[in-house]
Amino acid sequence: MNAPASLHSQWFDGQSPKPHAVSLRVDSGELLMRVEDETRRYPLARVRWPERRTHGQRQAELPDGSLIQHADAAEWDAWAEVSGLQDSAVVGWMQSWRATLVALAGSVVFLAAAWLWGVPWLSQTLAHQVPDSLDRHVGQQSLQQLDRLFLRPSELPQKQQDELRQRFKSMVERAYPQGDAPHWELAFHASPVLGPNAFALPGGYMVMTDELVALLHDQPDALVGVLAHELGHVEHRDGLDMVVRASLISALVGVVLGDASGFLATVPATLATQAYSRDTERRADAHAARLMHAGGIPPSAMAVFFERMLSKSEEDAPRGDGDKDEGGGVSLPIAIGSHPDHLERIRFFREWEVDVER
Amino acid sequence: MAQQDDFAPTVALADAPAPVQTLDIRFTGSGSEYFRIWIVNLLLTLVTFTLYAPFARARRIAYFQNNTLVGGDPLGFHADPKKMFRGYMLVLLLGVGYWAVSNFLPGLAWIALLVFMALWPALWRASLQFRLRNTSWRGVRLSFAGDLKGAYLSMLPFFLPALAFVLFLPEVTEGEDMAPEVARRGAIVMGSVVLVFTALVPWLMARIKRYQHGGYVFAQQRTQLNTGAGRFYGLFLKTGGVSLVVALVGAALIALVLFVLARGMFVDMAAGQKRALVALVVPVALGVIYLLIPLVSTPYFGARFQNLLWNGTRSEKIRFDSALRFRSLFRVTLVNWLLIVVTLGLYWPFAKVRTARLKLEAMSLEVDGPVDDWLASAQQTGKGVLGDAAGDFFGMDMGL
Repeated sequence: MNAPASLHSQWFDGQSPKPHAVSLRVDSGELLMRVEDETRRYPLARVRWPERRTHGQRQAELPDGSLIQHADAAEWDAWAEVSGLQDSAVVGWMQSWRATLVALAGSVVFLAAAWLWGVPWLSQTLAHQVPDSLDRHVGQQSLQQLDRLFLRPSELPQKQQDELRQRFKSMVERAYPQGDAPHWELAFHASPVLGPNAFALPGGYMVMTDELVALLHDQPDALVGVLAHELGHVEHRDGLDMVVRASLISALVGVVLGDASGFLATVPATLATQAYSRDTERRADAHAARLMHAGGIPPSAMAVFFERMLSKSEEDAPRGDGDKDEGGGVSLPIAIGSHPDHLERIRFFREWEVDVER
Repeated sequence: MAQQDDFAPTVALADAPAPVQTLDIRFTGSGSEYFRIWIVNLLLTLVTFTLYAPFARARRIAYFQNNTLVGGDPLGFHADPKKMFRGYMLVLLLGVGYWAVSNFLPGLAWIALLVFMALWPALWRASLQFRLRNTSWRGVRLSFAGDLKGAYLSMLPFFLPALAFVLFLPEVTEGEDMAPEVARRGAIVMGSVVLVFTALVPWLMARIKRYQHGGYVFAQQRTQLNTGAGRFYGLFLKTGGVSLVVALVGAALIALVLFVLARGMFVDMAAGQKRALVALVVPVALGVIYLLIPLVSTPYFGARFQNLLWNGTRSEKIRFDSALRFRSLFRVTLVNWLLIVVTLGLYWPFAKVRTARLKLEAMSLEVDGPVDDWLASAQQTGKGVLGDAAGDFFGMDMGL
């Protein structure tokens, strides 16, 4: 039987910065510390032991607030091992490169899963948990804000507005025979800033610009298709969904980078929002095609909209940066840069068939 | 006997001016080790839906402090992660509440702002107390002695512009149509608030730092910061000047490139192509300048600010010295950014360690007389959940 190993170390009493020489020994569940002629005893469990690392000194905090400090880390670790002091599993993990790489792979898998499924699922769930009244309240407030910044009163004749509204309404009624369509309110506004555009806000507030009506003046079916697309956003609550997603992504980035600088943190959040918004557009397109079909309008009517948008954006190509998200986050204009490629969307509506979906 | 001989001169010299001792700072942390800590902490934080965050944070702080050697002795970090966890939950709740109000009920945002204003200075002070109380050197805990009133007096002015907007803006939002004169008045008020506030920022910063650096205590030595607001103004102006120079030089270079391109290829191009090229080049050029400015001005300000703060911080027996050079910090920052991009972020922990080493090792302390004879003041025991919460919430910004 060998005697318990003892270690010559340094101890601070917590009252003065003056070091004292001590010798340490572990015996039957206790740490024995010999200071000059006195031996102090501390239960092992009440000492806060240092975590083993390659670099840095070792400090053990005693229950009376005093501190053992050992400069030679290797010597301390050898003594701790001989004395039977155990590291926690996490500390062992951090010492091994192989385990670290496993953790790295695990983090990547987790982040990928969160990106693909976790965040969309959570944001959809949360967005649908928000009560209708709050949803409407949020929509009203963003509408007011947009109204002040970008929208002017519509110059369309009331008759034309009513006709379009009626056309859309009858399509919705046919597409939702049970009358379970989401609540919607349609307003027309002139907006030189936004140009030909339409968007949906939380609470079912939909806005179509005079410029878009003018662009498709001979294609009322395409206009109804655009509104059906917006109704898709309303039904999926994409406005709220986007707010929640953006926040979740920033939170994730914050966890990964810790106290990263603001600039670094905004880049992934912006990219993510763009990617997600492309997905929501596809989903709203699919919704629009289904609605149009059910409402007796051929979905291919929507193709005209994209064709005209395309030729229009070619006309003013040099300044064609419709990429700004003017609406303060909650609006979803139909023709912003994050929308899927127009040609792809034209093909989608042209080739849409009933059995392709659902 | 020999021992007595050693002691004799010290006793005799007790009345003479104490010898000045220089304690230099060394940082012994390694990037590869911090990388492993970071990755494992990250995974645990992710899979616990951030519930592990306070534990990860305690470990990270402990790693950096244990590897900071002041005169050969490391700093200790003693916070109990379980207490930090309690605080983390509290702060998480507050944060989610604030987020929900500002996103879903923007009309009530002013209440959230008021609550925030009322809490923030107290939380900030509590976080300083928490962090210092849990930091030790040679077994003696540090502490923070700044009072609550001082925290509010130095912090609250930062909320004035936000408050001014909140108080002023409702008049505008109520009206359906904004009358032009109302809009103009709004723009004037907003513009002047922003201007006045910008002009006051260095002065406010000086007040905050004087409060913060006037509250550090080690063994009855309380520091103070004697740097006048004028020097803060000088630094802010110089940083602005540096940013301007970078922007101008960047713009000039890009203009030169465009000019050369124009001579070379524009001649045979159709007008549409030219416009398309300009449309492509201009955003890229703006992007380059947008990246270039912080790349230069951040390390410039960082280095000068650290020197300004710590060279002015002293107590009766302790003087700090900081000689961080802009050139070194710029080089490290540049390499860090490049490597972080190239490695898709995996270089991040290495970058943190490198920066910490550079910043810390630029500092040293001068102390009068033998530190061994100093005594800690009676330990404060006033602890509350607020301190733990705040300690987890705020990073401690010591200007390092």
